[in-house]
Amino acid sequence: MPLELLLALVLGGISGIAVLLHLTGCSRQVVLTAASARAAWLRHFPGDSVITVLPAASGRAALVQTEGGPGLLWAFGADTVGRHLAVGQVRETGTGLRFDFNDFAAPGLSLPLPERERRTWLAQIATAAEAA
Amino acid sequence: MTDPVHYPDATQLAVPFFIAAILAEFLWIALKKRGGRYETRDAVTSLIMGAGSVAEGLLLGFVAWALFMFLWQLTPLDMGTSVWALLACFVLDDLRYYWVHRFGHRVRWVWASHVNHHSSQHYNLTTALRQTWTGTFTFMMIVKAPMVLLGFHPALVLFCGGLNLIYQFWIHTEAVTRLPRWFEAVMNTPSHHRAHHGRNPRYLDCNYAGVFIIWDKMFGTFVPEQDHDRPDYGLVHNIATFNPLRVAFHEWAGIFKDMSQPGLTLKQRLLYAFAPPGYSHDGSRDTSAGIKAAHLARHPEDAGTPGFGG
Repeated sequence: MPLELLLALVLGGISGIAVLLHLTGCSRQVVLTAASARAAWLRHFPGDSVITVLPAASGRAALVQTEGGPGLLWAFGADTVGRHLAVGQVRETGTGLRFDFNDFAAPGLSLPLPERERRTWLAQIATAAEAA
Repeated sequence: MTDPVHYPDATQLAVPFFIAAILAEFLWIALKKRGGRYETRDAVTSLIMGAGSVAEGLLLGFVAWALFMFLWQLTPLDMGTSVWALLACFVLDDLRYYWVHRFGHRVRWVWASHVNHHSSQHYNLTTALRQTWTGTFTFMMIVKAPMVLLGFHPALVLFCGGLNLIYQFWIHTEAVTRLPRWFEAVMNTPSHHRAHHGRNPRYLDCNYAGVFIIWDKMFGTFVPEQDHDRPDYGLVHNIATFNPLRVAFHEWAGIFKDMSQPGLTLKQRLLYAFAPPGYSHDGSRDTSAGIKAAHLARHPEDAGTPGFGG
């Protein structure tokens, strides 16, 4: 197959499929509740004992307290991803919290959180980290 | 002197079919409201990985080709290009695929290349195209060497490899539940391959087949899909990125990071590269064996069932 034709097929195919999926609602992000976040966390970490789950009001993420320490679950397209949190991986920004996992497969997450919610999250992360 | 044996690049010729089949699957799911799901960024990432894999083949394919042509000059054998030679080559190549795929899950160096194929939490026809960009660096082309030395022309070997990949495209779907029993017994099917993509402890390291599922049955790695334990797609530790560069290279970055930790012995550094995925020098991570054992500790009732020694 001529390279020009292959390129046109590949570029046209990817673009066309992307537009079709977007226009038919396939770009919607999952919205997390306490129950769905708990289930999703246990899906990622079936050996964990979840103590509490605090979803963000936006539904974009949830702070999960486990017996092993705090963890962050967040919306990843229609699905979720989760990471345990260690000391120094979270810092406050002007609009919310910034999480850096030192993981090439999980670049940092900037989570918008209103001031009051931010305070609650930071306090819970500190408490859970100390308890663990 | 130019070599007269020539076969088309089957994978490239199949691109229009791939696009049409993806559209058909998407329409089927939309109309029937079952049989899978699509997500825009996930699908686009998979498609870009597929395009990148073709590009990698165009750029680095000469490495394998040079090796095979060197071996072809050495061998006194020539199986020819008859239909029988093609069929024999196809079956042998599928056996070759089984072992390369098995190494791809049991040797971290090879897993680093293959992991991206399992990195989607979805399972649809775009997942089939989420292919490696780094296959050349695994040196797994060496497993094709015996076929060339047996007298199968390199062009025939590569053609059969392309046909094998094309066969595997259509089995990446939830739209097909089960096929007739005789077909499921011999061929790799959507059901068998869904199990392979499952991150459930039951399905870790099973169903490596490309075309014929008989290899898994012969070598003890077959696990049938269980209706009460539906495959949960993705990785044991799912990645949190749609960036194709991160998808392609994340496990290589992980190997480098692990090997370069201070205070390790040379053996430990090598094990981080070549031991099964999940190896750690301090036992802080789990291999698939550890994950299965932990599952059985939580669910002893599963002992002896498929995937857990059954």
